[in-house]
Amino acid sequence: MKKAVIAALLLVLAGAGIGWGLSAPTRMSAQEAALLTEGDAARGELVFWAGGCASCHAAKGADGEDLLKLGGGLRLETPFGVFVAPNISPSEADGIGAWSLVDFANAMTHGTSPGGENLYPAFPYTSYVRMSAADLGDLFAFLKSLPIVEGKAAAHELGFPFNIRRGLGLWKRLFLDPAPVIASPLNGADVDRAVWERGRYLVEGPGHCGECHTPRDFAGGLVLADWLGGAPAPTGEGKIPNITPVEGGFGSWSAADIAYYLESGFTPEYDSVGGEMVHVQENMARLPASDREAIAAYLKAIPPVSAGSD
Amino acid sequence: MRIIRNATTLGLIAGLGLAGAVAQAAADPIPTRQAIMSSVGAAAGLGGGMMKGEIAYAPAAGKAAIATMRAASLSFGNFFPAGSDKGNSDAAAKVWSDAAGFAAQLAKFTAATASAAEASGKSGPADLDAFKEAFGPVLGTCKSCHETYRKQK
Repeated sequence: MKKAVIAALLLVLAGAGIGWGLSAPTRMSAQEAALLTEGDAARGELVFWAGGCASCHAAKGADGEDLLKLGGGLRLETPFGVFVAPNISPSEADGIGAWSLVDFANAMTHGTSPGGENLYPAFPYTSYVRMSAADLGDLFAFLKSLPIVEGKAAAHELGFPFNIRRGLGLWKRLFLDPAPVIASPLNGADVDRAVWERGRYLVEGPGHCGECHTPRDFAGGLVLADWLGGAPAPTGEGKIPNITPVEGGFGSWSAADIAYYLESGFTPEYDSVGGEMVHVQENMARLPASDREAIAAYLKAIPPVSAGSD
Repeated sequence: MRIIRNATTLGLIAGLGLAGAVAQAAADPIPTRQAIMSSVGAAAGLGGGMMKGEIAYAPAAGKAAIATMRAASLSFGNFFPAGSDKGNSDAAAKVWSDAAGFAAQLAKFTAATASAAEASGKSGPADLDAFKEAFGPVLGTCKSCHETYRKQK
């Protein structure tokens, strides 16, 4: 009897130990870190717009130069609670001014803070994990060149169990994966492979389109089988549309229509962009036309998702 | 007696129903504002098509696009009475919960169409460049309102 109790106790402890081990925040390997080099701020500006950093980290309603003041504070009201975007300006005390490039890359690709805490995936590192070392270096150089904003943003407002950061380590093991979502263009698609891959990089990586356009399961992980198939809006009213080439839906948009929408904010029927997509479209409008065309080429040659919330 | 009363009730209900239907046809704000917005979309399509070079520019067409926008900007805001958030509508709850913000967006729309109408004059902007200068700012107001006051879709 005593033996059984001890055995059960040991089992619980072992389980807890495994859970503790599996939930540990991960970091880049030394080889991966060695690939990082100090980048070029001018090139980093394009990565900055492609990544949509200002949409969450600038003040709500910011415009023009104010989009470069990344003091945080925007509240994302989600089913898991309220996430408040942090200060990522180069302030040493309140932002990322004291971070090294490796610290930054660990946050972007592992969701791990310099202090070794798990970051919440409201920060879309599940997409940023696909970014190249060169882009990370360039983006970091650009962020370092921006105005310092003093003051920390407010804390997140999350209930149990979402307020336990350690638990995110397990979540990351399930949902953090640097592999491309779509391995190759849809069979039979007449598309330049290099252009398509540039589009894939922008959509699946920095652009983090899947974070809103793909439905999530009960644990908050993306359902990759329905990649870009549309989802309920994560914040606010309404839904996020299906942007796969599905018949009777987005499939009727030509590649030129998609590129024009990203540039101008107008659909083929001259309806205008709305909701959170307004910021995204304005960011995409700052990229070279070739990048908008690459995004269009990619979206035209991915598997259509018919059973969607479109 | 009972039969008569029932018949009377029935007549009353039918009469009310008819009155309701008539009132609805005249004043149901949701289809009215949707019709106005679809005229905005059509004007944007005409104007945008000319700006893109897909439709040949003509001053009369430029004038039509601007005049449509002008009329819509002056009338659209009148069809969001309290209670008209229910039903088949893409209007976001913020139209009513943040009425001042919505009014400010409508004012931007109205101001942009006023300048465009002035530039348009009697016979419409003379050439495509003049049209672009007048019409571009009108198109720019679409998303600034749709960002907050329309449901995502």
